[in-house]
Amino acid sequence: MKNLEKLFAELATSTLQNQTRRHFLMDCVSKVGGLAMAPLLFGCEPDKTVKTPAGLQLSERDLNPLAPLSPPFVGKAKSIIYLHMAGAPSQLELFDFKPELAKLHNQDCPESLLEGRKFAFIRGVPKMLGPQANFSQHGQSGAWVSDYLPHFSKVVDEVAFLKAMHTDQFNHGPAQLFMQTGSPRLGRPSLGSWVTYGLGTENQNLPGFVVLTSGGKTPDAGKSVWGSGFLPSVYQGVQCRSKGDPVLYLEDPSGMSRDLKKNVISAINQVNKEDFDGFGDPEILARINQYEMAYRMQIEVPEVMNINDEPEHIHELYGTKPGEESFANNCLLARKLVEKGVRVVQLYDWGWDTHGTDKDGSIDMGLRNKCREIDRPMTALLLDLKQRGLLEDTLVVWGGEFGRTPMQENREGKVQGFKGRDHHTDAFTMWVAGGGIRKGSSYGITDDFGFSGIEERTSVHDLHATLLHLMGFDHEKFTYEFQGRPFRLTDVEGELIHSILA
Amino acid sequence: MLDFILPLFGRFHPLLVHLPIGILVFGIILVFLSKAGQNTHFASIRLAFLLGGIAAAVSSVSGFLQYQYEGFEWESIQFHLILALLTTAVSFWLWYQLNRGETLPPFFKIKSAVLVLLLTMTGHLGGNISRGENYLTEILPLDLQSFLGIEIEPEKGPQLLEENWENAALYSEVIQPILNQNCKSCHNPRNLKGELDLTTMNGLLAGGEDGLVLTAGDATHSELYTRMILEKDHDDHMPPAEKRQPSKEEIALIEAWIQGGGKEKGTLAEAAIPRKLIEPFIARNEVPFYPVTTIPEMAADSLAALKLSGFFAEGVESGSGLLKVSCINFPGFQDSDWTMLAGAKNRLAYLDLSGTKVSDSILDSLGGMPNLTVLKLNNTAITGKSLEKLALLPHLKLLYLNNTGVNLSQIQDLTSSKSFEKVFVYETPAAGEISNAGKLSLPFLVESGNYTLPKLATDTIVY
Repeated sequence: MKNLEKLFAELATSTLQNQTRRHFLMDCVSKVGGLAMAPLLFGCEPDKTVKTPAGLQLSERDLNPLAPLSPPFVGKAKSIIYLHMAGAPSQLELFDFKPELAKLHNQDCPESLLEGRKFAFIRGVPKMLGPQANFSQHGQSGAWVSDYLPHFSKVVDEVAFLKAMHTDQFNHGPAQLFMQTGSPRLGRPSLGSWVTYGLGTENQNLPGFVVLTSGGKTPDAGKSVWGSGFLPSVYQGVQCRSKGDPVLYLEDPSGMSRDLKKNVISAINQVNKEDFDGFGDPEILARINQYEMAYRMQIEVPEVMNINDEPEHIHELYGTKPGEESFANNCLLARKLVEKGVRVVQLYDWGWDTHGTDKDGSIDMGLRNKCREIDRPMTALLLDLKQRGLLEDTLVVWGGEFGRTPMQENREGKVQGFKGRDHHTDAFTMWVAGGGIRKGSSYGITDDFGFSGIEERTSVHDLHATLLHLMGFDHEKFTYEFQGRPFRLTDVEGELIHSILA
Repeated sequence: MLDFILPLFGRFHPLLVHLPIGILVFGIILVFLSKAGQNTHFASIRLAFLLGGIAAAVSSVSGFLQYQYEGFEWESIQFHLILALLTTAVSFWLWYQLNRGETLPPFFKIKSAVLVLLLTMTGHLGGNISRGENYLTEILPLDLQSFLGIEIEPEKGPQLLEENWENAALYSEVIQPILNQNCKSCHNPRNLKGELDLTTMNGLLAGGEDGLVLTAGDATHSELYTRMILEKDHDDHMPPAEKRQPSKEEIALIEAWIQGGGKEKGTLAEAAIPRKLIEPFIARNEVPFYPVTTIPEMAADSLAALKLSGFFAEGVESGSGLLKVSCINFPGFQDSDWTMLAGAKNRLAYLDLSGTKVSDSILDSLGGMPNLTVLKLNNTAITGKSLEKLALLPHLKLLYLNNTGVNLSQIQDLTSSKSFEKVFVYETPAAGEISNAGKLSLPFLVESGNYTLPKLATDTIVY
C-alpha cells in the first residue's frame, strides 16, 4: 500500500515536471474560456436591473441603497444596539465569580497556565490576583454579578450571558476589528454594515447605521470598526458627534429658507444626474443619494438627536445630563434612534483597559468608576426598551474585545503600583438581551481560575452567526462577492449558539 | 383448489424474464455477425426471434399476473409493462419479416438495435421495481453521486420529544440514529468497509475484520468509541477526517451507552442519561411567529406602489406573501388613508401606525384582518373606545398602545382573545390604574412600564 502511494506521488511529480509553459498557455485557451462560462451557466438570477442612458446596468438597489429589504427568513429582531466597552472590561470583577482564585491570591501563577502562552505585557511568572469585587446571585436565574454593577444586577433575568467567549487577538486594535468585522485585519465590513446592507433601513430620513462614542477616545482600531470594507460605502456607520450638535450644519443658514435649499439641492442633483447619464459612474449616484439623505435628515435628526425634550423621569432613569459627552446620553440616544427605525446603533465607551499602571487603570478603583458610568445607563436602556415594547425586536449586545487575566500584571517584570490585569483571549464574558434571546440564561463554564473556558466555549464567529440568525440571516448564505469569491461575516466558521435562543 | 396456479406462475416472472433477454440478444449477435450476401446464420436468427418473442410473451403474462396478485401499483409498473409488450411485438414483427424471405430484410441491423434498446429499458425498469431505483447508484462514492445530481438525503440523527424524552429507547432511538448519521455510509450491509456493519445490533456485536468493536461496560476497550476520540489526523480516527464528525454530545452518548452495558433494551431514564447530552436532539416545536399562509408574494409593482405612497413596506421574509408595513415616514397618515392599505388587508402581518393622525375609528378598518400579528398604535389619539374590536383579530399577538388614552377596563375587554401575548400600555391612563390595582390576572401580559432605578450611594462615590 505504501509503495503504491509512493508510485502515485512519483507519477504526480513527473507529470508536473513535464508540464511546460506552453502546455499551460494551451490549457488557457480552453479552460479560461470555460471559467468565463461558469457564471453564465450557474450564476444566480441577477437583480432586476435598470438600463441607464450610458448603457450601464443598475439594480434598484444601486439607485436606492438603503431601501428596506425582506430578510431571508423571519428574524426575531429588527435592530441591534451594540454596547462595546473598548479596552476590555474584567470578567473576573463583573460576572465570572471564581472563589478558588481568591484562595490563590498573591501566589505564583501555576506553570501549567503559562506554558506555551504569550501575553501582551505579562513576563516571567506573575502572581495570581483574586477577585476584587464581592459577588452575589441575582434574580430568578441566579446569575452571579458583582457589587460593581448594583443596578444591572436587578435586570439579569432579561439577559443571556456568554461566559466562555474566546478570541485569538490580544491587542486592542486587532481584537476590536475581529469583534466588529470578523477579521483582525483591515478591510472587512463591520457587523452593522452587513446588517444594513442586508436589510436596508426603515426610516428613510435617518442613516441605517449610527455610531456614538464616549469615554474621551474613539476605539483603538479607528473608524474601521464601523467601516463598510468592501461593501458599498453607503453602508458604513455614521458617527455622530458626542458633544454639542450631533450632526453639524443641520440648521438652515440665516436668510436661506427651506424651499430655497430644496431648490439648490434639486439643481445640484440634476447636474449630477446629467453627469451620471454621461459617464455612468455609480459613485455619482452615491453622491446624489447623500444629498437627498442630508436634506431629509434635516427634518428628523434635530428631533431624534435632541435629548433635552425627554421627560424628567427618563433623565433620572438613565442619569443623563444633556450637553456633555457621556455613555448615559448615548444610551438614551440609542433608544430614540431604534425607536425611530434605525437599524444598527453602535456605542463605544473607551476606558476599560485596566492594567494597573495608574489609578484610572486599576481593578479596584478605575474599574469601579467606569462601572458606575455604565451601570445605571445600560440598565435603564434595557428597562426603557422593555417598557416601550422595543425589546421585543431589538437586540442589545454588551462586551469588550477580549477578557483579562486571572494574574496580576507585571509589566517589564516589575510589581505594579495598582491592581491590574493583562489582556486575555481565552475566556471572557459578554451578554445579549432582547428579541429572540432566552431570558435569564447563561452559557459557558470557565475553569477554577477563570482562565479558560472548559465547556460551552463560544467564539466571536459563533456570536456573529447567532446575531445574524436573530436578524433573519443564515450566516453561511449571507455573502458578498468580492475579489473573485463570496465573503461572509463569519468567514468559514461560526456555529449558532442554540442554548441562548428563546 | 387450483387458485395458487396463477400467482405461482406470476412468481416465476423474475426467472422467466431472463429467457427473452438471453435468446433475443443471442439472435441479435448473430445478426451483427452476418456478413452481407452470406446466409450462414439465417435459420438460427429466425429461430431466435421466434423463441425470443414467445419467451417475451410468456414473461409479460407472468409479469402481469404478478402485478395482479402481488399488490403492485399501476403507476410503478406501467412503463415496464408497456415496454415489455412493445418488446414482444417487435420480436414477432422481426420474426415475421424474416419469414418472408431467405435473406436479412433491409435495415435489419438498425431494427435489431432498436430491439436491444427496448430490451434494456424494459429490463432496467423491471430492476427498478424489484431492487429500488437507487440500486445502481447507492454504491457509488458520495462525491460521484452528487456529481451525477443525485440528491442524497442525509441520515437524520436522534429526534426526541420535549415531553417524553426520558422514555425514549437509548439504543434504537438515540445510539442507532447516531451511528446511521455518522457511520452508515461506509458500514452497511452493502458497503461493508472493514467487514463491519453498524446498522443493526447484530452487526455491532459481530464486529469487523479486526475483531469485536464493542466491549459491553468498557468504552475504553471498545473500538467503536476509542477510534472516534482519537485525534482527527490520526490514521485510525473514525469517521475519516473528510466526513461529518460526530458532535461531542453524540460521542458522550455512545460512551455512556457502552459503559451502561451496550444493551439493546432500556430507556434514557434507566441509563441515567443527563438532559444536557440530549439537548441538541430535542425537537423544538417552533411555532412560526407569523401565521402560515398560502398568499403568494406581492407583485413587485404593487409593493413599489405602497412604498411610493409613503409606507415602509416589505415582506416578513423573502418569498412570503405577508407584509410588514410601517408609517414611520408617513406621519400624516389618517383614517381616510386606509383605502391605500385596504387592498393589502389580508397580507398585513405587522402594522405600525405609531405617531400618525389616526383616531378611534381606524379600529373599524382594522377589524377582520386575518393575519395581523403585531399592531402598533403608539403616540396616537386612540382613546380606547371600541378597543374590544381588536380582540376579534385571530392572530394578533403584540399590541402596542403606549402613550394613548386607553384605560384599564378597556384592556380588560380584550380578554376574549386567545392569541394575545403582550399588550404595551406605557404612559396611558391604564398604566396608572394598574400600578394602583396591583396584581392583575389577565390571559396576556400587560406591560405598563414606569420603571425607576433607586438612587444608590454607589451612584455618586468616585474612587
